[in-house]
Amino acid sequence: MLLHYRLLSGLLLCSILTLTACKPPSSPSDSINKASTSPEIVFAISQAPLNLDPRYASDATSERLNRLLYQSLVDFDHHTKPQPNLATWQQLSPLSYRFTLSEQCRLFYYPASAEHKAKARKLTAYDVKATYDSITALSDSPHSAEFSNLKNIVVVNERTVLFYLKAPDRHFPAKLVLGILPAELVKVKHDFAHFPVGSGPLVLLEAKNKWGLQRLDDGQRISLIEVKDPTVRMLKLVHAEVDLIQGDLPPESVRYLQAKPGLTVKTAVGVNFSYLGLNTQDPQLKKLKVRQALAHAIDRQEIINKVMLQHSRLGGAILPPEHYAQRQTLPAYAYDPALAKRLLQQAGVSLPLKLVYKTSTDAQRLRLATIMQAQMRAAGIDLEIRSLDWATFFAEIKQGNFQLYGLTWVGVKTPEIYAQAFGSDNIPPKGFNRGRYQDAELDKLLSTDDWQAVTQRIHQQLPYIPLWYEGQFAAMQKGIENYSPKADGNWDDLATISAYAH
Amino acid sequence: MIKILAYGILLFWLLAVVLGRLFQLDPNQIDLNAILSTPSQVYWLGNDDLGRSILARLLHGVEVSLLVALSVTAVTMTVGVLIGMLAGFYGGRVDQFLMQVTDVFLAFPGILLAIAFAAVLGPGLLNLMIALSLTGWVSYARLTRGQTLSLRDRQHVLAALSLGASVPRLLGKHILPLLTSVLVVEATYSLASVMIAEASLSFLGLGIQAPNASWGAMLRDGVRYMLVAPHYVLIVGLSLMSLILAINLGGDSLRDRLDVRQEAD
Repeated sequence: MLLHYRLLSGLLLCSILTLTACKPPSSPSDSINKASTSPEIVFAISQAPLNLDPRYASDATSERLNRLLYQSLVDFDHHTKPQPNLATWQQLSPLSYRFTLSEQCRLFYYPASAEHKAKARKLTAYDVKATYDSITALSDSPHSAEFSNLKNIVVVNERTVLFYLKAPDRHFPAKLVLGILPAELVKVKHDFAHFPVGSGPLVLLEAKNKWGLQRLDDGQRISLIEVKDPTVRMLKLVHAEVDLIQGDLPPESVRYLQAKPGLTVKTAVGVNFSYLGLNTQDPQLKKLKVRQALAHAIDRQEIINKVMLQHSRLGGAILPPEHYAQRQTLPAYAYDPALAKRLLQQAGVSLPLKLVYKTSTDAQRLRLATIMQAQMRAAGIDLEIRSLDWATFFAEIKQGNFQLYGLTWVGVKTPEIYAQAFGSDNIPPKGFNRGRYQDAELDKLLSTDDWQAVTQRIHQQLPYIPLWYEGQFAAMQKGIENYSPKADGNWDDLATISAYAH
Repeated sequence: MIKILAYGILLFWLLAVVLGRLFQLDPNQIDLNAILSTPSQVYWLGNDDLGRSILARLLHGVEVSLLVALSVTAVTMTVGVLIGMLAGFYGGRVDQFLMQVTDVFLAFPGILLAIAFAAVLGPGLLNLMIALSLTGWVSYARLTRGQTLSLRDRQHVLAALSLGASVPRLLGKHILPLLTSVLVVEATYSLASVMIAEASLSFLGLGIQAPNASWGAMLRDGVRYMLVAPHYVLIVGLSLMSLILAINLGGDSLRDRLDVRQEAD
């Protein structure tokens, strides 16, 4: 009997060794089944991802998560300059680019289903073509318009792909930041929105009550749970129900968390630019002196110091000073209510100047609007605040139905934004010139790509009032390591985050 | 004892409104150096998230709450009583039609309907009052109809009718005075429910707009800073609770006083 057991054990051991030797060591299937020794990390988020298909995703949560589930051809460096990610590129002519996939082995991981075992295969140029061909063919994708200039894509070999354009576009590589999908699943119209299949560092295992992720390298499990209310999110962190939260808290709450001994709070500079939009077709606001008066009527530094996160800083232009196209710090308009009043009088405005300011119902936006209202009163400006639900507010802004509004540019990477936001022919729905700003001199500068001159002209003419770049923060339990907030609020550090058990 | 407490609280808030007016407290004075400060000698109840005096905003807020509650109660009572009396007096098809309309409004939860109206009409004080008035008349209509049905066959009403009194005279002179005690009690409960509805809508951002003070909006802001400055939400919450409780207790006391059966016992 004992002999039988020994024989059986020996056979079993041999089978295991043989099977293990068959599999490549880097296969994600190995990692995904590997039980991580570190505890699961729970990340409380304010908004659930709406669509995990990179061709359709447009909300911030989905885009942040998709960066971890998929990989793109191009990414951005710390100066927001496009840099190779999956592929290097070469401009062959004004109308063609060649992209060469890196030799580093990239694998698509296909999660196991009831019928099939988990499998993996290498990402190829055919996948790149299938992904971008499908985006251009889609009529309901928010990203399709960006690729309307794409003529066709030709696969040279498994690692090389050519992109042909209809018209020259110097910023074309910067647009190739969407996650690459496996060609055979694109063909069968796989539901990537709910069952993503990508080649990123994380894989989605569960998306019912929470978004269960696993890191392919070491099997670390990470769960995202949606907690909409900021106070509840904060309480969950304080009571150690969650390990990590990021953003969407008032600065007072962040300071409260900083004082908690069991928590670590990290802050970072931000790049999301907040501004006061102006309707330049308005009889009063079309006068430069009135716009200058508004700029001098807001004490931005006081607002930053008192009601904003640490690391928030004054804003001068849409792109931050460290951006490769910016590289200059524009002088801030000093708070001077007396000067603002004089400018209004010089513009022939009878005081008080009555203006309507539209904003969303977000509590922090309303708070900032109320402070600006009080500050402007000293300059002879009577600001009426109208807070509207997001959909109504945004629709009114796009229709030009406003005098003043407050918004933030999020995730802007390329200097093309200046043409889209201020070019005379880019009034919505074509572009983002919501203030209906018309400036022939600026149009001329925009065509030259002299971004420093462009931003100086905008700063001088004030088609909007620049406010600030809000700082970023992440709060976590003491046992969490290798995670820091990023300037644009992305969650890229989930690829490296670690936790040790207390 | 409870009666005295209720009247005391009501008197306190009415006095507070008057004194707030007298001392000209500015509810919108921002002080960024006093954000979420705890009560002090300068600011007796502390400061809110913009450094504004919580006391000044509470007093301004109760003024707005009472204005909304009294206006809405007046409008809903007038409309509801008129509809109820007509339905009860005429009966038949008129009664059937008016009560079917009433039933349609009754079928929806009042606050939900008010939220829907407020969302359609847009935020603001006037729209808030319209939204609350559109849903508040129903209870008066049902109550008045029931009472009128029992009163229309009374001897003095029939006598007036046989002497050729017109319908408005019959309703106004011979039926309405007999409804007064019931309606007054109903109005006190209605005042409390309108105040809660106003606070709820403002809490949701559909009521009074910034920077104007409202208890609902203050409660919403207070909840946001519950961990950082618990005094803020506690002060507003307790104020709202005390006023509503006082109005309800006042209503109970009034009902007991006007109840003929209890007096007979």
